[in-house]
Amino acid sequence: MNINRVKALAFKEWREILRDRLFFSLAFVVPISMMLVFGYGIKLDVENIPFAILDQDRSAMSRDYLHLFIDSRYFDYQGDVGNENEIDDLIADSKIRFAIIVPPKFQETLLSGRPIAVQSLIDGTFPFRTSTSKGYVAAINNAFNTQLLTAYISQKMGTTPEQAAAFVSPIKVQLRYLYNQEIKSIWSIAPAMMMFILLMTPPFLTALGVVREKENGSIYNIYSSTVTRGEFLIGKLLPYVAISCINVIILWLMAIFVFGAPFKGNPLFFFAASVIYVTCTTGIGLLVSLFARTQISAMMITVVVTIVPAVLYSGLLVPIASMDEASQFEAHLFPAMYYTDIALGSFLKGIGMEELWTRVAALLLYTVVLWVASYNLFHKRVKA
Amino acid sequence: MSLMARITEGKSYHWWSRMAAMTGKELLQLGRDTVLVCAVLYLFTLDVMMAGGVKMDLNQGAIVVHDADHSMASRELIYRFQPPYFKLSGEILNEKEGIQLLDQGETLVVLDIPPKFQHDLLQGKPTAVQVQVDASNTVLGTLAASYSAQIIGQYGFDAALQRIGLTADSMETIPMLADRHRVWYNPNQKDAWFMSISELLTVITILAMMLPAAAAVREKERGTIEQLLVSPLTPMQIMLPKVISMTLVILLGTALSLGLILHGVFEVPMKGSLPLFFLVTALYTFAMSGLGLFISTMSRNLAQAAMLVIMIMMPIILLSGAWTPPEAMPEIIRQAMYFSPLYYYIEMGYGILLKGAGLDVLWDSLIGLGLLGSLIFSFGVWRFKRQFG
Repeated sequence: MNINRVKALAFKEWREILRDRLFFSLAFVVPISMMLVFGYGIKLDVENIPFAILDQDRSAMSRDYLHLFIDSRYFDYQGDVGNENEIDDLIADSKIRFAIIVPPKFQETLLSGRPIAVQSLIDGTFPFRTSTSKGYVAAINNAFNTQLLTAYISQKMGTTPEQAAAFVSPIKVQLRYLYNQEIKSIWSIAPAMMMFILLMTPPFLTALGVVREKENGSIYNIYSSTVTRGEFLIGKLLPYVAISCINVIILWLMAIFVFGAPFKGNPLFFFAASVIYVTCTTGIGLLVSLFARTQISAMMITVVVTIVPAVLYSGLLVPIASMDEASQFEAHLFPAMYYTDIALGSFLKGIGMEELWTRVAALLLYTVVLWVASYNLFHKRVKA
Repeated sequence: MSLMARITEGKSYHWWSRMAAMTGKELLQLGRDTVLVCAVLYLFTLDVMMAGGVKMDLNQGAIVVHDADHSMASRELIYRFQPPYFKLSGEILNEKEGIQLLDQGETLVVLDIPPKFQHDLLQGKPTAVQVQVDASNTVLGTLAASYSAQIIGQYGFDAALQRIGLTADSMETIPMLADRHRVWYNPNQKDAWFMSISELLTVITILAMMLPAAAAVREKERGTIEQLLVSPLTPMQIMLPKVISMTLVILLGTALSLGLILHGVFEVPMKGSLPLFFLVTALYTFAMSGLGLFISTMSRNLAQAAMLVIMIMMPIILLSGAWTPPEAMPEIIRQAMYFSPLYYYIEMGYGILLKGAGLDVLWDSLIGLGLLGSLIFSFGVWRFKRQFG
């Protein structure tokens, strides 16, 4: 390993990047704009769900009940419908996400002390929204039931409404949200976005940089030179790792100052772990570039091996714990998951090396494997 | 006159035969890049399949219990935390241990039952149960919190009913609402149906932009565009075959994915008309390839093109409404959604495949996509013609 050759190569690469102004600026603009777009755009809270009402009873009690829905900030009342067929059309056209049907004799049945079933029709197209809507409907029904039962018990047992209310719900639930007391989803999303962006952009930059030399034929200059394999790989990739390290700092600052996420951990530890992570993701790009002959295929493979695990197997949208066993196993094969733990741990939980060392070790192992594999797969001799 | 007619006929024959030749050339070029073909195949099959395996709901969230009462009542409450939502993963002896497990991400919820829990319950005294939830992932945190609250609330309710001597049989004699819900289009709420369709539409989006952009930029980067420009081909004949061939590839891939994965593996009910779905897909692909062509005029090499594709793709996916419900967005962003072609495509894709909707319901989305698509496509063509005309 000759340090001067590495320096020369890195310098050549750096210059080439700098001279491609569009590419150079995009290397920073893309991560920043991704952070802005997702940070401001991803909203996982389900609110203002549009819904319609079919009131077949039209009594004082049914109106009271339905007002619980209309007045809730989670729902957005779209109006009354005349019959069930209208509901079908509205749901098919995505004008509403669910509808409540109050049956005839609603008030009469309840006043006579008998139970009655209320039907809700929910659009099942987007499962997350479906389960949230279902949960809200159940919560409102429970609230109404508590009212009914309180009135019933105070009447039957002759107690005051307060006593009856305490009787109906004897257990208070004290909920404590740890790490993110106000449940601001941006606090979770900003660190997760760092994982996502730093998984996607470094391999793209790297793979395209290496394959471009292959496709243009300029790699033959390297093949015929005295530069060794190791020197080439390190010299070539150093500038890309450097760009990604700068991006780490930019994104970290954005998460804290633009999105207001708290950083409770140790910045030095987090930065060191992030450098390992970007070295690892750069390694992914390197490995891809050894297989691909054309830039377009390099691009496609990078999409395949980064975006998919970044979205599905990182805990960004879907928690790892919620996956079935096979998916959980696959999640462990990608580096994204480990860095999500590190990012969320450092930002929100304020934990460090002591708790997270297994994740750091996994990333380190991943990096070493990728780089050793690339070193062994890269040949200066062209296959006949 | 007849001579003119024959010349025109000859011209149009040449026009079409050149188009066919160029389309053949694009397909051949794509077919020879084995790695690329494999990547495209992978995206349409295995990738969609992997996405379908992902669950969105809380599934076996780990819960540990600090039970200071050790009574019948506390045990009964604990055993109500069952799969699919929860999985009991042990008991702890003090609060510190709970915090430690939460820190390490070993557990999602810590349930704390106070001493004299059963005693208070039987006496009718109010008692409180503490639930600590890891909210570092807000989605998971809120789900876990609301499910725990529901379970505990139901338990308290049942305990109260038991105290006044009501059992399941005598429930007929008290005024109560029974919650009957019907979930449409996906009665068992299979996440795989949603996820696999969503992934397929995303794959189509990525490829529809990237493939034509790459095919055009490659010619620029390698200098072969010069050869095409000195040939008798018009810019239209250079550009359209790229779009047509890539659209063909995407439609083939879509058919493969629908047949093998969506139908074969996940049994998604294809309720609507498949020809309509392919028509809409072709229209969408054309619209997106317009963006691809625009990108190819902006960039000199593929690296630039790739970055630009990502830049443009992000807001399009984000504004599509697949991940973020439109109604939860601020007004400005909701307006901006009308400029994302994917918004219309998602509406129609799910509409046709899951809801079985036809043109009578989807016509407005189709017109929206048609208008937006022709706008984008003509913009791409205009840029391309200006650069190479």
